[in-house]
Amino acid sequence: MEVLRLQQQLIELTNSLFQEGFLDDQFTQLQMLQDANNPDFIQEVVTLFAEDSERILAELTKTLETEPIDFKRIDAYVHQFKGSSSSIGAQRVKAVCVDFRAYAETENREGCCQALQQIKQEFFLIKSKLEALLQLEQQILAAGGSLPVME
Amino acid sequence: MENVDGDESQPGREETGNLQNLLCGKKILVVDDNRVNRIVAAGALKKYGAHVECADSGKAAIAKLEPPHTFDACFMDIQMPEMDGFEATCNIRKLEEIAKESGKIWHVPILAMTADVIQATYDECVWCKMDGYVSQPIEEEQLYKAVSQVLSRT
Repeated sequence: MEVLRLQQQLIELTNSLFQEGFLDDQFTQLQMLQDANNPDFIQEVVTLFAEDSERILAELTKTLETEPIDFKRIDAYVHQFKGSSSSIGAQRVKAVCVDFRAYAETENREGCCQALQQIKQEFFLIKSKLEALLQLEQQILAAGGSLPVME
Repeated sequence: MENVDGDESQPGREETGNLQNLLCGKKILVVDDNRVNRIVAAGALKKYGAHVECADSGKAAIAKLEPPHTFDACFMDIQMPEMDGFEATCNIRKLEEIAKESGKIWHVPILAMTADVIQATYDECVWCKMDGYVSQPIEEEQLYKAVSQVLSRT
């Protein structure tokens, strides 16, 4: 019963992540890459994504506080962020990156500051959602269940 | 490429099988400064049985692809700091020219990886003697098209 309940929770959480646009099809592709040869693939990708994103956010914050603002540097960091969010399927983060780069290109300081706040918010949201998802998967496996196949 | 739509992405079974035939047992180098992109690209290629090695810069790629080596192909990110993928490829081609003088022909297929299609126009790839390109993250149908052109001959 416990396993069934957890599996149901996992399905609901996963569905909501797609419906609310947090994740796109790329995340499904990643799930398909996880198999017996590579059982912790998603966990690894999520961990790297979180570490790199936090480092980039700290750099962006610092760069935007340093006069004169180095917009080229900002663009380079956001390019990194866009790449990794796109690789993991975090499409809301990716969407903010697109706006952010446009602000960096036009050297729009106000726009960049707003985009930074927005990207922080989106990043911490998706990070906690992905952690919740992975934790549910762990709980299901620990309880002897198997992971539901998502369509 | 921002308008990746999720609907047409159910990969064709045929392509999966063909990619398996083309990539299984092949030694592939993935070059990207972004480690999330690197692990995802490597994962996508390993799925078809390729042996994947990674490099995190253009310079590291040159060191691995200076003849002689045993790689069958290389996937190279275009936009990297210090040395971009175009410049790294040009350098690798120069080393292959030098190797040719000692009698053996080398040409490792290099496929560009890029997030923006505009950025890696076909012309630019040709100019640097790249062999094709795929968008990142790698999508199966496009991967098949690119890989079948460079690996079917081996």
